Amino acid sequence: MTLAPASDELTAGATSRRRSARPEGRPPGRVPIGYVFVSLYTLLALAFGIIPALYAVVLAFTTTDGGFAGFDNFVKVVTDFRFLPAVLHVTLYLVIWLVMLVIFVVILALIVHAVKARWAGTTLRFVYYLPGALAGASSVLLWLFVLDPTASPVSGLLHLMGLNSFVQVIQPGNLPVIFAIIAFWTGAGGWIVIMYGALNNVSTEVIEAARIDGANAAQIAMRIQLPMLRKWIAYMGVMSLAAGTQLFVEPQLLSQASNAVVPNDYSLNQLAYQYAFQQNDFNGAAAISLILLVVALLLSWVFVTRGGLFEKE
Amino acid sequence: MTALSTQPRRDGRLRSWSGRSVAGLILVLFVLFFVIPIIWLLFAVTKSSRALIVSNPFSIGSWTDFMANWNQLFGFQDGAVTLWIGNSALYTLGALAITLVVSIPAGYALALTEFRLRKALLVLTLVVMLIPSTALVLPVFLELNTVGLIGTPLSVILPMSFFPFGVYLTYIYFSTSIPRDLLAAARIDGCSEIEVFTRVALPLAAPIVALVAFFSFVQNWNNFFLPFVMLPSSDGYPIQVGLTSLLSSTPAFNPSSAGSDSVQLPTLALATIVSILPVLVVFLFSQRYLVAGMTAGGTKE
Amino acid sequence: MQLFDRAGKGWPDVVFSSQNTDAAWASQKSGGKQAFAAVLDKGLVPQKTLDGFATGALNPCTVDGQVYCLRNDLAQAVLWYNKSLMDQFGYSIPTTWEEYEALGQKVATEHPGYIIGTAGDAWTPEVFMWASKCEANNITGPKAVTVKTDTPECKRAASLLDTLRKNDTVPVVSVFTPEFVKKYTGKVLMMPGPAWYAGAIFNNPQSLNVPAGQLGVAAPLPWKGDDKAVTGNVGGGTWFVSSHSKNLKAAEKFVQYVTTADAYQVDVAPGYPAYAAAAKKWVAKQDASKYYATSLQPIVTAASQIWDGWGYGIFSQEAIWAKTITPGVTSGKSIVDLLPTWQTAIENQAKVDGYTVK
Repeated sequence: MTLAPASDELTAGATSRRRSARPEGRPPGRVPIGYVFVSLYTLLALAFGIIPALYAVVLAFTTTDGGFAGFDNFVKVVTDFRFLPAVLHVTLYLVIWLVMLVIFVVILALIVHAVKARWAGTTLRFVYYLPGALAGASSVLLWLFVLDPTASPVSGLLHLMGLNSFVQVIQPGNLPVIFAIIAFWTGAGGWIVIMYGALNNVSTEVIEAARIDGANAAQIAMRIQLPMLRKWIAYMGVMSLAAGTQLFVEPQLLSQASNAVVPNDYSLNQLAYQYAFQQNDFNGAAAISLILLVVALLLSWVFVTRGGLFEKE
Repeated sequence: MTALSTQPRRDGRLRSWSGRSVAGLILVLFVLFFVIPIIWLLFAVTKSSRALIVSNPFSIGSWTDFMANWNQLFGFQDGAVTLWIGNSALYTLGALAITLVVSIPAGYALALTEFRLRKALLVLTLVVMLIPSTALVLPVFLELNTVGLIGTPLSVILPMSFFPFGVYLTYIYFSTSIPRDLLAAARIDGCSEIEVFTRVALPLAAPIVALVAFFSFVQNWNNFFLPFVMLPSSDGYPIQVGLTSLLSSTPAFNPSSAGSDSVQLPTLALATIVSILPVLVVFLFSQRYLVAGMTAGGTKE
Repeated sequence: MQLFDRAGKGWPDVVFSSQNTDAAWASQKSGGKQAFAAVLDKGLVPQKTLDGFATGALNPCTVDGQVYCLRNDLAQAVLWYNKSLMDQFGYSIPTTWEEYEALGQKVATEHPGYIIGTAGDAWTPEVFMWASKCEANNITGPKAVTVKTDTPECKRAASLLDTLRKNDTVPVVSVFTPEFVKKYTGKVLMMPGPAWYAGAIFNNPQSLNVPAGQLGVAAPLPWKGDDKAVTGNVGGGTWFVSSHSKNLKAAEKFVQYVTTADAYQVDVAPGYPAYAAAAKKWVAKQDASKYYATSLQPIVTAASQIWDGWGYGIFSQEAIWAKTITPGVTSGKSIVDLLPTWQTAIENQAKVDGYTVK
């Protein structure tokens, strides 16, 4: 849309600069400009990402007094009676949530994108995003009520499912679904906004051409829009995977809302938190975090390679 | 986006009427899904705690109840809530400024320039994003303690400025939306690399700047854990951490606080709304840029 | 606190805690660093002051025989009841737990919908199991605990809860949920619970809102055959002084003032003061308010009846019960059947917190 004016401006500016033209290509010995651009970021990454991560790795392999501990910390956390249940919880949650997120976000983004009236599209995106503004502590109260069939705005729905009391709703078997719903409720809006923007990027000529050829909306979606969104969907997948393995906020706030009926060591990340702050065992916490990291890395590798996240188009 | 007209191809479109109603139904269902709890919350601030429990979830309370909740909220700990909101604004905007200055060039470089560590940096960023923050809290705390920053706003602003998610967004945007030929043309025309960035890429990057700014704002405004650890004194709390103070004075979540001074549930609801208003305002404001603009990259040749 | 320990600075001088698990860790060295809590009974606080607290009030503060904090308020469990309703239905106050259970059967048949207690809170074990002398939390040392839930004492309380849950007179609902207020306003015949229930639930317009002149209180119940009644304790705040404090004397003076001075404890504080002299005046003040239908003497008696066989460890018994028993009961199991699971859960948690379990 703004392409044409920009290049006019460009050529105009360039002509006037011809006198101070630089030699073509890069002279040997000159530092690629890329380094300059990333320098500040690398600094921050070192200070708040890489060095702490390395420290965490060191912590995971040492004891409280600083001596080398080999794999002791890992053995200790893996044999902790809460570890395997937490793994199960996170896995179940991840599966439910990722599927829910990828499918519904893409569908909703496609539909919202197809809405013609601008005000409708804007309102829809705002409405879908609204819950995303609610962070952890703010929503404890909200979920205490929404999940209590006697006072909930959706009590009809809960009663329909045979759930008549708060403790029934937060039964251990229901928890992965509840957390996935809460996470979706808060997280989907942001991704819908991003996907919508990405959809705007798909050239309209191609879509028009397909429509002239007789393709209907579903076919356009499948054959043209989705492949264009590949990188974005992959990014959403990776980020959601990362966030999902680090499940913490949802079980923590339900634990508060239910006064510990939902345990505060439901997820692996919560377990790490307990190790760090209730048991004063930062080494154990680091060990759990490393395990989480390795798993997340392995899983996200799939998305990265299949989604072509690192390719330059 | 060109408006789709339905006249010319009615036969090809008839099928899509049912498709349209399915789509419409899905939209409406999800609107309800996202909005019902929020509506409940809005009504909740107008009720007293007892009314909240026994009356219909969608009924409106009274003005007196609302004022009572308002006064209780802003009177809590002598106006702590106002102070906390101010703190949140300080931290978030400070981090935002630094994030933009740092992340946009970085994403650009990762997407559109060549240098040896490019892929390594990408991978490293991704890895760091996957590390649970519980593990990073202690090292960051110790680092900042060594330079004596604990308890100062910088102890929160600096770590918050590290925003790999934003760098990735920028990276993806630049690598999908800016045609490389454009940059090549600029280089041929004699622009230095910095000029290529400032004169070609940056003007086209308005949408991604808005996007990164928005997400940075929201993430930092809602960040609980980092300020909780770095700021021992409740004077420096941002609103999210302050909310936990409120929670621990609410008997429903902390039974030992039961008493005449305890915080009531609707007051909490009001606190919730007050704490998310800035985010919503920013969202509304940046909507134009967020989505309209991502097209600005234009067609790919 | 761990972060302050590692940073070597920043500890607050005085800390108020509402969790009884705090003395257990604050009194110990952590990671080789000095323990956070200052010892109070080795001269810092006058012995006379320490003796002025109710019997057993300082138990949550005492680790290995040394006192690390001062108690702000007590939370002894007593038997609350609605005198008007009891008179109206013609019931008499039970004098033993067995009579309590029998009353529950009567209420279930004659007045369904009314309840004589709740068992859905995290502190339910502290009201029922503790009062039954169940040895689920016998802390024997700073890092040692004995757990035995298969004893007759535990079984009798468990079976009582099971019977009354089945006939709906002691439902599994938490008193701070909307469900409780909605379903049971006006239907609470009796309620074993801590002293602070008065202000939190009964005399609270946002909760049950029981009108004046109806609420009575009776002494904790014994089991038949036990020579005297014991009761449980649910919370009660504590004040710590930091061992790192540069103003040790001032901090101590503050803590002493706030726990013993009438100006705070009697005039302002909502809870039953732990300091005996202040407690007497507090009770008098409550009596004078004409809200209660009976004298408050049972609360005073109960203050010294808290069983000392249930200790205060670093791990939370409330959390263990909430995540083990409450979901189990909701899915249909009986507490008696769940007793071994409860035992294992306590042992597991104790072990990860470094306790040796016997």
